[in-house]
Amino acid sequence: MEYFLQNFPQQLVNGLETGSLYALIALGYTLIYGILEMLNFAHGDVFMVGGFLAAGVTAVLVHGGVSFVPGVFLVLLMMAFAMGGTGLLGVGIERVAYRPLRNANRLAPLITAIGVSLFLESLVQVFVSPAPVGLPTNAFIPQAALRFGNVETPLTGVLLFVVSVALMVGLDLFVFRTRFGSAMRATAQDREAATFMGIDVDRVIMVTFFAASALAGMGGVLYGLRFATVNFFMGYLLGIKAFTAAVIGGIGNLRGAMLGGLLLGVLESLAGGFISTEFQDAFAFLALIVVLLIRPQGLFGQPLGDRA
Amino acid sequence: MGKSSYLVFAAIASLGLAACGGGGSGGGGNATAKPDKVQIAAEGPFTGDQASIGAGALKAIQLAVKDFNNKGGVHGTPVSLLIWDDQHTAQTAQTLQAQGISDPTVLGIVGPMNSGVVLGSVQGLQAASPPLPFVTESASNVKVTDSGNSVAHRVNARDDAQGPADGKFLIDQGAKKVEVMDAKSDYSTALADATQKYLSDHNIPFQRDAAKAGQTDFSTIIQKIKSFGADWVYFADEGPEAAPFVTQMKQAGLTIGQNINFLGTDGEEDPTIISKSQGAYDGAYATNITADPAGVASAAAYVTAYKNEYGADSVSQAGPFYGSAYEAAQVLLQAINNAPVKNGKISRNDVISHLASDTFNTIFGSVKFNAKGDVQGGGIYVYHAEGSNMVVKKQVSG
Repeated sequence: MEYFLQNFPQQLVNGLETGSLYALIALGYTLIYGILEMLNFAHGDVFMVGGFLAAGVTAVLVHGGVSFVPGVFLVLLMMAFAMGGTGLLGVGIERVAYRPLRNANRLAPLITAIGVSLFLESLVQVFVSPAPVGLPTNAFIPQAALRFGNVETPLTGVLLFVVSVALMVGLDLFVFRTRFGSAMRATAQDREAATFMGIDVDRVIMVTFFAASALAGMGGVLYGLRFATVNFFMGYLLGIKAFTAAVIGGIGNLRGAMLGGLLLGVLESLAGGFISTEFQDAFAFLALIVVLLIRPQGLFGQPLGDRA
Repeated sequence: MGKSSYLVFAAIASLGLAACGGGGSGGGGNATAKPDKVQIAAEGPFTGDQASIGAGALKAIQLAVKDFNNKGGVHGTPVSLLIWDDQHTAQTAQTLQAQGISDPTVLGIVGPMNSGVVLGSVQGLQAASPPLPFVTESASNVKVTDSGNSVAHRVNARDDAQGPADGKFLIDQGAKKVEVMDAKSDYSTALADATQKYLSDHNIPFQRDAAKAGQTDFSTIIQKIKSFGADWVYFADEGPEAAPFVTQMKQAGLTIGQNINFLGTDGEEDPTIISKSQGAYDGAYATNITADPAGVASAAAYVTAYKNEYGADSVSQAGPFYGSAYEAAQVLLQAINNAPVKNGKISRNDVISHLASDTFNTIFGSVKFNAKGDVQGGGIYVYHAEGSNMVVKKQVSG
């Protein structure tokens, strides 16, 4: 019990950090599912590309452990570059691999999504690096840990959590408080009816892909800053975890994805910290099974209708 | 990679043509005639997340074949090398091996490098007709040679040698409480088990955790290490997870060489871990189941040749097995060379019997396999991260 009390706060913080990353990626799955009712299995790899774009920025601007530009500026540049790049990548993927199949059998876009996923992985593996690529984070981010009582975490961990939560809130406001958000929700409810109401559905879908992919790109930057390494297969397991988080939360529901992500991260961290790290992943997927048995639509999912 | 694979393809194609030409002009076979065609395969994770250990081994094997062919090949027939990039999965390995199993001129494999791949594909190699032998340069799980397969050979030391040697090293260094970690692979789990048993037998308290391939978030485990109060971390792993792990250890206040010590295993004596971890790995130790050619006098010429072939800084990126890979290729090529040629053909059965009976000359001295296919006297080597290099400290009992 004493062991539990001593370690619980730290493991909770660890879990919230991991969970906020899951949530950020889960949002992309759920956004796209909400609008198109398709699972974009390439989403995890868009996240990976974001990480590599961020690493690319450091490769250009940091040499021999010295950054040519101030640290804050470099981080902002990484974010802008990665979000812009992955946003455009997402739009491109939709245009090439999903739009031609929008009226096809539902399995068809699922298969092309898996194809795009493998394509992106292979592309990075062959043309960028088969081995993990390090980010020289020492050169532009203070490495000292932040302490709160007996809980400590590096600055990059706090950054990961804060930026993720800020983006989630921002996205929530965008979808529920803006005119374009209404158009998105209308498209999600009934694509045909939305067309009759004068909504440019293609544009809504494009913007959705841009936003979802840019969030994943930001996830890649935050991951690269926190762990100082990126590799071409990092999107695979993380993508599956984020997808799990989206399903736990109720796929198609934005707030569900956020909470599902945080829950999954905390659950994993506590299971690893207090039960066994060897079965950490098993607990994550056990949670999925339990949730699906008790609430097949997920914690926050509505059977259909009021999705967004 | 793309460029070099074209070159390899071109080389193989030209060798193939040469072999055909030779066969045509040679006419009828007699006992000493040269073979029509000789192929061997190099198998390992040559690209992907374990490319840092596989790519250097492949270069070593390519160099071994080139050196062998420059000395006349197999009675005048140059050996062509097939490259099987199994991505350390047994499923991919089986697909690749199928082409060798069905082609009787493929006489052996240098590799597979990963224990998990060997254990997942060895039945197919043994059941082939004739069986397809392999000489691995790095698979250390005891089952690789303990399963009674005549095709199985290795030049590296076994886990049951490495586990106790690692445990003994930890105790000799004064370890009081050890965090034992594996990376959930056939290789690393078995090795961590063996080391854990040794520690447990010597009453050293330990805590066991597991990472997984590709893991980068170690915050949960690091908190457990701090809470446990370990003075040594032992991580049985093939390498890719070490850099993010030690980076986060340092961020969390566990500095190697100051308030914690670190012992890694094969793949973790890769010097790129020091740069990838931005120096956090400095001071760490790692053991390896093969010798470092740079530390062995008889291999000095090989190291020079490797640098001449692949560039002055190539050795620092060659990974832990560029010595044993060359050694394994030498062994296989000599066994093929010793096997009789009948009607322009060499039988894999004869290669297997020569692997079992002959003594081979390699860059690390003479090599002879025991009945299981293990090399006699395989040693465990300790490396230490100093500055930007991994320095060989000493050989511990093997």
